[in-house]
Amino acid sequence: MLPDFVSVNPETKEEALAFLDSIGDARVIAGGTDLLVNMKRGESCRNVVDIMNVEGLNRLSVNDGEIVIGSTVTHAAISTITILNDMARSLSAACGLIGSPQIRNMGTVGGNLVNASPAADSISPLLIHDAILSIESKDETREETLENFIIAPYETSLKPCELLTSVCIKALPGYREGYRRTAKRAAWAISRLSVAWAILEDEGRFVDVKLAIGSCTPMPFRPRSVEEFLRGRTKVDPTIGEAVVMVTEEIRKITGDRPSFAYKLPVVSDLVQKALRG
Amino acid sequence: MKNVSFVLNGKRVSCEVQDRELLLHTLRERFSIKSVKEGCGIGECGTCTVLIDNEPHYSCLTLASKVNGHDVKTVEYLGDADHLHPLQKAFIESGAVQCGYCTPGMLLSAYSLLMKNGNPGENEIKEAISGNLCRCTGYIQIVEAIRDAAGLCKCKS
Ligand code: FES
Ligand code: FES
Repeated sequence: MLPDFVSVNPETKEEALAFLDSIGDARVIAGGTDLLVNMKRGESCRNVVDIMNVEGLNRLSVNDGEIVIGSTVTHAAISTITILNDMARSLSAACGLIGSPQIRNMGTVGGNLVNASPAADSISPLLIHDAILSIESKDETREETLENFIIAPYETSLKPCELLTSVCIKALPGYREGYRRTAKRAAWAISRLSVAWAILEDEGRFVDVKLAIGSCTPMPFRPRSVEEFLRGRTKVDPTIGEAVVMVTEEIRKITGDRPSFAYKLPVVSDLVQKALRG
Repeated sequence: MKNVSFVLNGKRVSCEVQDRELLLHTLRERFSIKSVKEGCGIGECGTCTVLIDNEPHYSCLTLASKVNGHDVKTVEYLGDADHLHPLQKAFIESGAVQCGYCTPGMLLSAYSLLMKNGNPGENEIKEAISGNLCRCTGYIQIVEAIRDAAGLCKCKS
């Protein structure tokens, strides 16, 4: 049973922001795949602002290598729009693995980010594309990097009066890109470990490497020291081996030793190694 | 309360719904469409699947107010006992129905697939029904039924 809330269905962004400003304790709903489950499990809620009808929020635009994804664009759209397949393959691959067809038709990229689960599939690919979020309230518009936006598992910097309106990423032309995860089963599973990568190579050398590891630490993260280490190095097995060890060290540095690492670290190592080898 | 107007199985309908009302309950209680079933209630089993604008959605996690102005289809759209849809016939002929609890949702996911892709491969079929659980058949018969029906049916929107 859902709590007895009152909902509004604004059609413009201004209307939505005005509601958020005046109501104070409103919860924003888009696809509802996370929020309604939480409510059924007992989360209380008195006011709901449903943003699925807000004009413009479901738009996707591409301009000069910059891709702006509206916050209510669904996972289904991200995984099937050809231009994203070309310009941000890791993201479209990741969104195509989320939940089930029904969940992908309902769930949105904004919802995935605001919910900020450590296992959210869309976060790692957005990290390697240096995603910048547009966040609006009635009186202010601000931008924040995705890295700063998520401050703890299931916790973001979003204030109650604010709305995440879009995510901006840069295309990475020339990079080979991908997303891989392990899960208990192929469909309808929470990802247990994931790696997103974008790698630029030239004549057997790593020119630029971007990696993001999901589900292993409280928040998906970029192992920056490893990216730095690989820059300009020849693509040979010992270098790749060293990079893989560095990744596991970074994970240990963030979380300390965990019982699950007996399983997780070898799997991460394998995923990273495959990503680097290509 | 909110007034919602939508197209249900090809007919224009409207009704009053509570703000917190789920589409699942609107369909079952206000429109007596009992083919839409509540299994898990949290978006994991697929027995509550309906098509919204021809794409499968979980009605157990869809607020009824969301379908205002949209097109909703349940399995009743496909056919009835006297006029079965080729997809329904194929399910029967392949033994893809045992207890039948998953069947309406399964048929809708399959129907949505066939609307977009008249000749799906095995993996496409499996992917399309991956959000619908069946605890009886083991899926093989269901995949076969959808493949058999693909050649026979025209799935209209
Ligand atoms: S009842 Fe909706 S998915 Fe199980
Ligand atoms: S036939 Fe019984 S659950 Fe599918």
